[in-house]
Amino acid sequence: MTVNDDNRMEDALRDALCRREAPEGFAERVLARVEKRSFSRRADLHLGSWLGMFRQPLLRWTALAAVSTALIVGGIEYRQLQREPAEGEVAKQQLILALRIASSKLQLAKSKVQHSQDQNENQEEKE
Amino acid sequence: MKKLSWLILSVVLPVLAGAQDIKIPPEVEKLSAKAKETVEVTMDGPMLRWASKFLSADDPEEKKCAQLVANLKGIYVRSYEFEDEGGYTQAEVEALRSQMRGPGWRRVVGVRERDGDNVDVFFRLENEKMAGIVVIAAEPKELTFVNIVGPIELDQLADLGGEFGVPKLDPKSLPQAQKGDRK
Amino acid sequence: MAEPLSAEKAAEKARRIAETDFAEIVRRHQAMVYSLALHFLADPAAAEELAQDVFLQLHANLGKLKSEDHVRFWLRKVTSHRCIDSKRRRMPPQMSLDEGPEPAVPSRTDDPLLSRRLRQLVASLPEKPRMIVILRYQEDMSAEDIAEVLAMPVATVKSHLQRSLALLREKVTRTIGEVTI
Repeated sequence: MTVNDDNRMEDALRDALCRREAPEGFAERVLARVEKRSFSRRADLHLGSWLGMFRQPLLRWTALAAVSTALIVGGIEYRQLQREPAEGEVAKQQLILALRIASSKLQLAKSKVQHSQDQNENQEEKE
Repeated sequence: MKKLSWLILSVVLPVLAGAQDIKIPPEVEKLSAKAKETVEVTMDGPMLRWASKFLSADDPEEKKCAQLVANLKGIYVRSYEFEDEGGYTQAEVEALRSQMRGPGWRRVVGVRERDGDNVDVFFRLENEKMAGIVVIAAEPKELTFVNIVGPIELDQLADLGGEFGVPKLDPKSLPQAQKGDRK
Repeated sequence: MAEPLSAEKAAEKARRIAETDFAEIVRRHQAMVYSLALHFLADPAAAEELAQDVFLQLHANLGKLKSEDHVRFWLRKVTSHRCIDSKRRRMPPQMSLDEGPEPAVPSRTDDPLLSRRLRQLVASLPEKPRMIVILRYQEDMSAEDIAEVLAMPVATVKSHLQRSLALLREKVTRTIGEVTI
């Protein structure tokens, strides 16, 4: 067995075992299962779970939804000595949303950079 | 001379202070009228600390979040989602980007895609330490501006990533002004 | 200035953003996960089911993962272990891999007969050597990285690789005859 034979064998294996495209609609089916599982859950989920941290008992949401829409988070007079807990919950959810958006866009930036670097590496390999 | 010094100081100080503040251009604020959905979050330091009081101390992750937010001076988000493409103009995006041309700002990511997503990430440094981060994401149907202000260490930013799914931004892995220009 | 979102709407918006982000992660890694399962199980339907289970598990654990590299490592690890633990390992391949989806990258060689035979032979290897070969040649991973994913000593990985290659070569030569590869 020569080194060349080894190399050809390895090339043949790389070819035979190259990645295959996932079936059409795969991601959508995964998401459907995630949604189904999330909907049926009632347990408390930690912030670490991407969807779980936003789950609240229905009754609590009903109370929060009743909070005046004139509430402007940034303009709240924080020098007030007393605040309604419901206002605090609104502010907390706004905070979580802001961090979620920051998270999402930072991830977008990183994935774009990674994709660009991968493309450059592939280009260099071809050359 | 004293009076002159005081005058100069009074001019310089607001400029320095202004370098930290980022103003949302009015033409960008007006996008909410056209947007299908708008998110506007404006939380300065006291507001952040107040909101974080409602994070549960019994939940270890919410507790960590509260500790992180305690070091921040502000979180500002403007996100506009449109029904169709063309909801905003390049001029409006540029109006946002131009805010970070002042001293102390460094663009660490700059991605331009033809017909795709344009993303910029800016760090603000003070005495070689992170003092803030801005992300501007200009997607076909969505324009988002995020400004996190505060004396955050990069490790703290990474912790933010760990808790909320943000990928860790390793400063070594972020080259200066990376471009994925496919034009 | 727009009307601020209520807490409920803010939470709903955040949930939708999280869903979109997760969908993007799935799309980025689905070919890798599915292919690992497909080459191991040699059954497209079983491979999809396993791959879906992996992503469901990922969804539950995403908050603990710190970077893209960590996600990739985690996916390889979990997929590999699920494959090895799979009850289907004793069943023969259900259908030809050629009835499955197209390759994600262009073929380097032009010998579909050899490729098909190699896939069948790989699928007939014992579980751990099989996964080692797949990780090596599908993912181009080093022995050290494979050892980390499979929680095995590096020497064991190298030994399995060497023996598997020799076995594959012998079987290919025997079944196809003198094959110039």
